[in-house]
Amino acid sequence: MLSSFRKQDKKDEESSTSGNPYKNLEKASVLQEARTFNETPVNTRKCIQILTKIIYMINQPEMGEQLGQTEATETFFAMTKLFQSKDMMLRRMIYLSIKEMSTVANDVIIVTSSLTRDMTGKEDSHRGPAIRALCKITDASMMQSVERYMKQAIVDKLASVASAALTSSVHLMRHGPEVVKRWVNEVQEAVNNDNIMVQYHALGLLYQIRRSDKHAIRKLILKFSKAGLRSPFAYCFLIRTAANLINEEGEGTDSPMYDFIDSCLRHKNEMVIYEAASTIVSLKCVTPKELSSAVNVLQLFISSPKPVLRYAAVRTLNKVAIQYPAAVTACNVDLETLITDSNRSIATLAITTLLKTGNEAGVDRLMKQISSFLSEISDQFKTVVVDAIKSLCQKFPRKHTVLMTFLANMLREEGGYEYKKAIVNTIISIVEENPEAKEAGLAHLCEFIEDCEHTSLATRILHLLGREGPRTTTPAKYIRYIYNRVILENAPVRAAAVSALAKFGAASEELLPNILVLLQRTTLDQDDEVRDRATFYYQLLKHNDKPLNSAYILNSMNVSISSLERLLHRYTMESTTKPFDVRSVPVEAVPVEQPKANISIVSGVSPGGSESKKAREDTFSEQLSVIPEFAHLGPIFKSSLPVDLSESEVEYVVRCIKHVFSHYIVFQFDINNTLNDQLLEKVTVQMDGSAEGFEVVHYTPCQVIKCNDTGSTYTLVKLPDDSSAVTGALACTMKYTVKDCDPATGEPDDEEGYADEFVLEDVEVSVSDHVQKVLKPNWSASWEEIGAENELEDTYTLPIPTLEECVKKIISYMGMQPCERSDKVPDGKASHALYLAGVYRGGHDVLVRAKMALGGTSSDPGAQAITMQLTIRSTDESAVQVIASAVE
Amino acid sequence: MGLLDSFFDWLGFGKREVNVLVVGLDNSGKSSLLNYLRPRETQTDFIAPTVGFNLEHFVCKGLSFTAFDMSGQSRYRTLWGNYYRTTNGIIFVVDSSDKTRILVAREELQQLLSHPDISSRNIPIVFFANKMDIRDALSDVGVSSALGLDGVTNKSWHICSSNALKGEGVADGIEWLSSAIKSSLDQARR
Ligand SMILES: Nc1nc2c(ncn2[C@@H]2O[C@H](COP(=O)(O)OP(=O)(O)OP(=O)(O)O)[C@@H](O)[C@H]2O)c(=O)[nH]1
Ligand SMILES: [Mg+2]
Repeated sequence: MLSSFRKQDKKDEESSTSGNPYKNLEKASVLQEARTFNETPVNTRKCIQILTKIIYMINQPEMGEQLGQTEATETFFAMTKLFQSKDMMLRRMIYLSIKEMSTVANDVIIVTSSLTRDMTGKEDSHRGPAIRALCKITDASMMQSVERYMKQAIVDKLASVASAALTSSVHLMRHGPEVVKRWVNEVQEAVNNDNIMVQYHALGLLYQIRRSDKHAIRKLILKFSKAGLRSPFAYCFLIRTAANLINEEGEGTDSPMYDFIDSCLRHKNEMVIYEAASTIVSLKCVTPKELSSAVNVLQLFISSPKPVLRYAAVRTLNKVAIQYPAAVTACNVDLETLITDSNRSIATLAITTLLKTGNEAGVDRLMKQISSFLSEISDQFKTVVVDAIKSLCQKFPRKHTVLMTFLANMLREEGGYEYKKAIVNTIISIVEENPEAKEAGLAHLCEFIEDCEHTSLATRILHLLGREGPRTTTPAKYIRYIYNRVILENAPVRAAAVSALAKFGAASEELLPNILVLLQRTTLDQDDEVRDRATFYYQLLKHNDKPLNSAYILNSMNVSISSLERLLHRYTMESTTKPFDVRSVPVEAVPVEQPKANISIVSGVSPGGSESKKAREDTFSEQLSVIPEFAHLGPIFKSSLPVDLSESEVEYVVRCIKHVFSHYIVFQFDINNTLNDQLLEKVTVQMDGSAEGFEVVHYTPCQVIKCNDTGSTYTLVKLPDDSSAVTGALACTMKYTVKDCDPATGEPDDEEGYADEFVLEDVEVSVSDHVQKVLKPNWSASWEEIGAENELEDTYTLPIPTLEECVKKIISYMGMQPCERSDKVPDGKASHALYLAGVYRGGHDVLVRAKMALGGTSSDPGAQAITMQLTIRSTDESAVQVIASAVE
Repeated sequence: MGLLDSFFDWLGFGKREVNVLVVGLDNSGKSSLLNYLRPRETQTDFIAPTVGFNLEHFVCKGLSFTAFDMSGQSRYRTLWGNYYRTTNGIIFVVDSSDKTRILVAREELQQLLSHPDISSRNIPIVFFANKMDIRDALSDVGVSSALGLDGVTNKSWHICSSNALKGEGVADGIEWLSSAIKSSLDQARR
């Protein structure tokens, strides 16, 4: 058995080497061969081969055979001698090698003159590549010496030369924007070039030169929209630029930029028309009117004989249908004709678009239509189908049986990981959204994990079964599926299965004895993690203690793992006999859901703001820890989102972030000095909250904030002694010394400067600043766990007309996490219960139950109001008081 | 292939290919001198200061020359050394009208001669006392003593005055170099 495996391996190795002759290159021997470069006359064929090897090596960092700087430099200089050969192939290879080696070797500028000669020489096919190589090795210090050549090349008669020079200049902008800006006349001349590619590249460079000046960009678009460019690429570029301006500046469809895009809908080139239409539908400011003119154009494309146009149009309509299904309904008849399109990608997109726009009655027919060719389309398009089903389930919850069956069939068929993941995600979300579909969904998933090759999917499903299974009518039937995994699977899946089993034991007394037996068997597992989990759960469950089960099995700890690790590490370094206090570990807050990115129209503009919340808090604690006065405050409990404290168009833009600690708050003020002729020194923000019991302890001034620059100053405030009254407003005044300075250089003149102040808006410290959201997967178990010791219950009448609004307000005032999906109020209900969970400053669990009912007050039964019974439980008494104060 | 080559060589058909290195301070006229050696129709009127190096080809006395025209600016002089090992001869150009910097040229020459890749080999060197047309320019004898050529005893060398723009004296020096390279190659072969 073993020997046959070996044989297999060897065969694999052999076949892969024969496929790629460079696979087993050795650096030492390649460098040895590279000495051939020093020979005269040049052995062309051999040198080309060696250069190929070198380039291959540089581009395969995983080979681990990277050239060192000295080696690379030596090889590079030897290679420069190959310029003596006139062989075309070799010369092209040299250009490539120069580009590749330019980042590893030293003194690569040695080839500058040789390249400038080639770029101006008689051999046309060398000129463009030489320009590209030249620009690659040119740094800021060398810009001057290539300037003359670049200016000439930009206006060269030969299109390939001009294009090479223009595109390379875009790269040069990074090293010497000032120098490139001096070529603007040549670039402008190139925009008028007859060649459409040159025109496009020139426009691109012109944009780069002007990009920081929005006004100039605007003028540029208007000018060229009238001047009539020949290049459709250039038009597409202008459309994207115009759309960016509209979106960035928050303009509406009355903008001249919009007029330009709109006019492109009537352009004679199809690419331009499509670009305009697809841009319009993704503009932020678009209204139904504009939408329909763009959709009209796409509708025409749908019936085009060209598959490319049909594909582009239906793909865009598919996206439009997500946001504006009504706008696409007009195309339904045309889309129907695409259902049988011989291009299956087009057909899939058409059907899924119809699913989004159509009515409930059509679903069955369309689903049948798709299943007829599902086996013929690629995974990528199958995923499109899955996504469509997902949104259908939300739209027509009653259709879940048809759709779920369909998904289950898809799950059974062949497909890659991404595709399977999409299906599983969809089933899970249906299970979570729709209680009626839960049991059927779980059953499908159980069947799937019986034969699932993807560890991450199996573990996810097991986790879900552990959470949802115990709450179904017949929990026992899931145990078999889960325990099978413990017997048959790899270690990560076994571990997940053990955790799932434990949840059944914790939730049901009836199942507990069986679960204990199963867990005990598993304590002999060969894998550490599986064994540890089994032992841990077995010992816990043996006690059959509800609060223990809730705290450690049904609801997990909500601490941030990275902070826990850091604090434990610190604890082991200290010589203390005090036990470690888990409450001092910062809570891992529920991540704020980012709104989904719009259909991105402009490539190269990455949707920013993807940094995670976690990273943000870690950076804060790093920043604050370097300030000695904050060292004794302990870990940050919560950092608020920034709040603006100044109006938008003033000299100083001030934003405040509140960092809440267990007994203090650090107010961080980020101050942007928008003036270009004054700088600020010794900046502090004075605060006053004495009326509410807040006491300022320390100011950390910002020494200097230069013109157009941002700086941070901190104010440390001690929380009021009365721990049940910790909210209120603090007045803020910024104090600083002003110095005048030269707008050109930003340097201050010698004068002393004078003291000044600037009044800011008050900073509000609210209930939500003291609470972190945490999700309790099993809220009621937690509720029992905390118990009624510190319970506070009261009934309120709130002047709020709808249950939805009431739910929203309570959540935002208290800053707590809705659990058990109780933030969703089912349609047409007159009463609702909201379950919230959070951790109060200092590490205490807080839970809130708000039962609300529509109905007026007893004195005026007809009024629009809600009666709410609010119950708060916590392990900390003042936490209960503070949370209750959020409603008053 | 090697056999066939030398056979052709012996018959005097194929031209033997040799490399020479052209060095000297910036603005001394290296590129101008090589420009003069090009065929008439490819000569240019405009010569920019060299950045790095440039390659030129010319033929003389049955030898096919590849000349590495190095940049003389101080920041590039350290790069000359990369090309010493593979060169068959050296052309050292001096601006004989630039009396102040001739001492700098002497320094650079000393550096070159003491480099291991040069000192260990018998490489002929031709010196051009260039820009002889400029008034008050030093004579070849003057340049020779300013550079301290009397002390150079382990290399065969030759000096001649030149005007790179008009070509005066250029052929003279290159012909000497060709013969010197030939005999040094023959010596090596024997
Ligand atoms: N009057 C005169 N001028 C010369 C002569 N030779 C060269 N020049 C001029 O001297 C200047 C420099 O010549 P180049 O050939 O560029 O000098 P180079 O040695 O190549 O300089 P780098 O490439 O910077 O090392 C140019 O303006 C030439 O016209 C000469 O014999 N007489
Ligand atoms: Mg030169």
